[in-house]
This record gives sequence, structure tokens and C-alpha cells, in this order.
Amino acid sequence: MSIAPAIDDTKHKHPKKHNHYDFRSFFQFDLDKGTIIDWNGSQNILTTEDFIVGLVEGLQEEVGDASAATMYTIGCEWGQKDAFFFEKWFEKEFDQNIRQTNLLFLLETWWWPFTAQGWGRWEVDMGDRKQGFMFINIFDSAVARTLGDVGKPVCYLYAGLFAGFFTELVRKQLSCIEIQCYSMGETYCKFLLGGQDRIDAAAFWMNEGATARDIEKRLRAGEVLR
Amino acid sequence: MLSQLERLSRELDGRYASDAELAFVIDYVRSFNLRVQTYQKLQELESTIVQQACVKMRAIDPGVFVGKNQEDLTRKCVRDLVYGLRATALAVLLNDPDALQEELLLWLQTIMRSLGKSHVCDIMYSALQDVIKQHLTPPQANLVCPLLESNRRILGPTA
Repeated sequence: MSIAPAIDDTKHKHPKKHNHYDFRSFFQFDLDKGTIIDWNGSQNILTTEDFIVGLVEGLQEEVGDASAATMYTIGCEWGQKDAFFFEKWFEKEFDQNIRQTNLLFLLETWWWPFTAQGWGRWEVDMGDRKQGFMFINIFDSAVARTLGDVGKPVCYLYAGLFAGFFTELVRKQLSCIEIQCYSMGETYCKFLLGGQDRIDAAAFWMNEGATARDIEKRLRAGEVLR
Repeated sequence: MLSQLERLSRELDGRYASDAELAFVIDYVRSFNLRVQTYQKLQELESTIVQQACVKMRAIDPGVFVGKNQEDLTRKCVRDLVYGLRATALAVLLNDPDALQEELLLWLQTIMRSLGKSHVCDIMYSALQDVIKQHLTPPQANLVCPLLESNRRILGPTA
């Protein structure tokens, strides 16, 4: 026996409610139409871990090593589009322009739908923002958790998503690289976001065997590639 | 209670629940009158509780309602306090701390941290417990205060 959740009309009754990320409030299941619409009006689909494995391995088979760049690019476009989408729903929900809002609050609010959808919890470390880079930790990455320990970073989709979203948010071209991944046997994933020069340097150091901690230290010491 | 009932209904598939599995329902029925009384008392005394909690919060930290740019945050804090108190009262009525956590606290924890207000939550939920103990009978306070303490631990800076 299974009990299908009824359509929740919390949104219609309380359109300005902000804590709406629990399963029943965030998703509206329309049993007649077979759709899952979330609080912000996006259509959601439920996928299995097999789907994620199929997506990653299928792409790998089709385009080989270019699959990482392909996933990253998909993520970038998703992030850019989501930045515009977010701006609209944020302003509607909070009656406030995103550029007049506390940045950390804004970012938490951006990520909450992703948390509700199963992309994992996050933590933003903006301590180095003035130096032009920042770190994002993801706990329970859907991709890494699915693929397990494969000895290399796998969350290119997330890296692209962050690059795309933040590029639109700050209106400055930013790139992102995953410098530590659950799929490398670590407990969580860590992303570096910044200008292309810093991302290139981090990629180079990673190829030489540097850990996330090494990369953080080198960036904070102001090291760059020559 | 509702979360537990939902879990039970998922677990029971073509069989009856055991006595152990039904224990929480019986506990709930036994505590129901006390829960309703407590809920109604919180409703009735809300403005007094909120006002006294604010006084207590100021006594603990005179700058608790002052923002980074010296702006007065009293109105916002009172709004959050009332919201948190009502959500906690509902969790008392329904005996559903899981729903309180899932629907409010996990979200609020990230928001309060992002705004650098975890210490305000610490003071707020500590003050609320003190005030509530003065107005409610010990059995009533025993239903509310553990939840407020849990709110304090989740939302406070040590979480």
C-alpha cells in the first residue's frame, strides 16, 4: 500500500510564506496530470540513481573526455538561466530587489530549492571574496553520491551551475572547478569559484597532485601561474 | 504525531500494528487534554509572553535588537519570536517536533546564520523558556520548554 501525497495548496493560502521547503509544501503533486510542480512553478521529475549513472556514462561513451566539459557547459547554461528565474521569484516573494539584499541571505535563498530537490546541502565560504575567489562546499552531491568512489572529481554539472549563476549575479565572467570530491573518497565536495586565471592555476596544481588544502593555501598566498 | 502516523501507515502493509507500534498513539491520547490546554494558554498569553521575553532578551544583551548599522530590529525580532512561538505551540498540540524541524527550523537555521543572527536566537529561545516557566504549570511547561530548548540548540551559534 502506498499513500500518495495530496495536492498541497499551502502556496495559495500562504503565498508569502518563506519556510516552504519541506517536501509537502515545496512540491505539488498533480495525480491527474502526472506532474510535480514546485513552489516556484518549475516542473520537476523524479529520477533514479540509474538515470544519473546512465547520463554520466552515456555521455562519456558518446564524447569521451569531452563529457566533463559538456556537463560543465550544461551546468553553466542552467545556472545563467536560473539566475534570471531566481531574480523573478525572489523579488515576487520578498518584494525586494536582489541587489538590495544581504548577499549571504540571497545565496541561501537561491540554494534552498536545490536542497529541497535533492542536490545536497551547501556551505558558502566568502572569506576570500575580496581577493576575487570563494569556496562552496556541497554535502551529499547527487552525482558524487550516486557514482561513489571513482578516484576523480565528477560534479562538473555543479561546477558549471555555480559558474553560470554567479557570473550572472555579479555580472562578471567567473569560472568554477571542483577541487575536492566525495567521489575521490572525501567526505564532501569543494568548489573554487573565481576568474579564469585562478581556475586554470587550480586545475594545473590539481594535475600535479595538489589537494584542496594545498590549493587554498597557494591561492591565499597570492600564487598565480606564470 | 502526524509524522509518526504517516511513518506507521507506510510501515504497515497488510498487517495490524503491534502494541509497541501503537504506544505513541496511546501516549498522545493520554496527553491530549494537557496539550490542548497548553496550546490555548500560549495563545491567550502570547502578547504577555512576547513582551516579557523581549524585556528579558534586552536584559541579557542590551544590543540584541540593534542591527549592524544601528537600526532598530525590535519589530523584526518580535515577528520572528511570535512566528517561532506559534510554530512551537502547534508542535506541542500535535506532538510533532519532526515537522517543526523539517518545516521551519532547518530552513531558519541557514537563514539566521547567513544574517549573523544565531546569537539572537540563542538569547530568544532561552528567554522564552524562562518566561514560559513563570506562566505555565510545570506539566504544561514540560511540554513546551524541551521544544524551545531544541529550537535554541538548532538555531543558536553552537549548532
